[in-house]
Amino acid sequence: MIGKESTVHATQTADEQADVHVISPDVSTARRAFRYDLVLATIIKYAILLLVTAIVMAPVATAILGSMRTTGEFLARPFGLPRNGIQWTNYTNILESDSFWTATKNSLIITVGVAGINIVLASMLAFAFSRVRFFGRGLVFNILSFGLLFPLVVAILPLFIQIREFGLIDNLWGIILPLVAFTLPYSVVILRNFFIAIPSELEDAAYIDGCTTLGFFRRILIPIARPGLAAVATLNVVAAWNEYFLPLLVLTREDKWPLPLGIMQFQGQFGTEWALVMAYVVILMVPALIFYMFAERYIVTGLTGGELKG
Amino acid sequence: MASVTYRNVTKRWGDVTAVRNLSIEIPDGEFLVFVGPSGCGKSTSLRMLAGLEEITEGEILIGDRVVNNVAPKDRDIAMVFQSYALYPHMTVYDNMAFGLRLRRTPKQVIDERVREVAASLGIEQLLDRRPRQLSGGQRQRVAVGRAIVREPAVFLLDEPLSNLDAKLRVEARAFISKLHQRLGTTFIYVTHDQTEAMTMGQRIAVLRAGELMQIDSPSNLYDHPSNVFVAGFIGSPAMNFFDNVDLFEEGGKMWVDTGYFRLEVPEARYDLYRPHMGKQLTFGIRPEAISHPNYQPADIRPSLIEANVDVVELMGNEKIVYLEESGKTFLARFDPRADITVGQRTGAVFNMASMHLFDQETEQALQ
Repeated sequence: MIGKESTVHATQTADEQADVHVISPDVSTARRAFRYDLVLATIIKYAILLLVTAIVMAPVATAILGSMRTTGEFLARPFGLPRNGIQWTNYTNILESDSFWTATKNSLIITVGVAGINIVLASMLAFAFSRVRFFGRGLVFNILSFGLLFPLVVAILPLFIQIREFGLIDNLWGIILPLVAFTLPYSVVILRNFFIAIPSELEDAAYIDGCTTLGFFRRILIPIARPGLAAVATLNVVAAWNEYFLPLLVLTREDKWPLPLGIMQFQGQFGTEWALVMAYVVILMVPALIFYMFAERYIVTGLTGGELKG
Repeated sequence: MASVTYRNVTKRWGDVTAVRNLSIEIPDGEFLVFVGPSGCGKSTSLRMLAGLEEITEGEILIGDRVVNNVAPKDRDIAMVFQSYALYPHMTVYDNMAFGLRLRRTPKQVIDERVREVAASLGIEQLLDRRPRQLSGGQRQRVAVGRAIVREPAVFLLDEPLSNLDAKLRVEARAFISKLHQRLGTTFIYVTHDQTEAMTMGQRIAVLRAGELMQIDSPSNLYDHPSNVFVAGFIGSPAMNFFDNVDLFEEGGKMWVDTGYFRLEVPEARYDLYRPHMGKQLTFGIRPEAISHPNYQPADIRPSLIEANVDVVELMGNEKIVYLEESGKTFLARFDPRADITVGQRTGAVFNMASMHLFDQETEQALQ
């Protein structure tokens, strides 16, 4: 984006400069100074962007490079290139194991469950908090948004006891329900802002056209708030997909493990199969990446409230 | 098609009274305009009729049916909003068909009606577009189309022209007037713009602070405002007012002394005004009733004064002149050919046949 902008600027100034030469050399000098500033600014912009990208990408690159080599190579030179050919066996070993596919299935159940339940509950809650006037609305909303302050880890002990009380140890619901509970405040806060931004005249128009409250919610509000829903869904999918701590406590049976816990299977009694871990991490990243690319256009508008004029 | 009746309708939000004891009867097929400054209760009155606000006291009837507790969708009304309120995620076609679909109208009938209405409004080429791809004027037509496609008994329009630029607004005014003639349905139109009210309404209800000030035809409102507020609100530039005038008889004639100059009252008003002599009175005269001596109309009751020319605004077809006398400024509409210069004195002829007198205390017109 920045690159594109600066090219446009550069061509413009070049064109203008050609005209300016004929008219007055003074202006041309000013133009040149201006252009010099512009070039400098562009260089600085690129430098900063490259630096940030490098910091973000370094661990990813390490994982990818590590996954292409043997554990020995990795331990000798963590950031080296694969010199003895790419070790595809790292990947095939993982992809051919049954435990990987069981873990994938578990992860999918958790992710879809969390995101699905979350979206349904959060959109209905956000509707009530944004468009229905009732006594104590502000108070209840404040209590709910209080939930933003507490990460799951803080409440892990009482949470664990509760899950055990419900008999949900070694049950995927023992992961899904607490995750929904702890992500719900974020989702409601984001969606509520979205719903508030939808003009009340649209609601009036819908009622006059023949909608009930539920009809307005289903036919008008939800379709218009799609970017917001997509953003919330993405956040939930990523959170549920990457969740490590809760499954670690709740799920003791290996056949219930989601993907992040699967990494543990490469930690033997005598050492860690680093090459396999790296390949596993890369595979783990791919679905989240694909999903993000798919939902990316919604996420930025979704999180900033979006433009809803129409 | 149906008449609309407001019967002692009051709307309160806590301690705030938005509409006070409003009673109006709107016969079937009338174009009625609610006009007033912002916060006067005109939109609230309309929204109560639409069912979007609850009625605190009194009742509203559509036809013979009291609709106080009828849901908006069952009132057989359609509404055009200031922001148009088009559904942004639907095409123009779907926007127009939405209400009919919810009423389970057969698909074929919907299609016929939408296309017919779209053709009559000149928007048939826009049916596949979404609202954001339309210009302001087009959106406005779609909003009107969405309302008429349902063939409602009463049409409600809440400041539908406020978001249009000046030129489009003039076109849209004519377009809505024609639409009313063609459909023959009851139209209730809310605006803060007295020009819109005057040009479109068959009757105009002027509201202030939740109270009905006057309801009458445009020409009656203009010629016979029943109080100072209506007199000042209707007409542009606004009527000139002179407070604390003296009304007296001398030499067999009746005079008004504004404190700046003395004006002769037409004989036809003697009997009407005589009982009010000695009261505190406000004299009102519209700028168009003050002309340049060389260009005065033929059939007026002239009363000549002199004043300083303060500002002259040439509009092309007229000159709006700010006249000043001993610190009091008032406006006149002169013929554009009138030869006047800022800073000089000029004669000005008051057409006393169109004078107004108001009781200063009650603000009511003497009539």
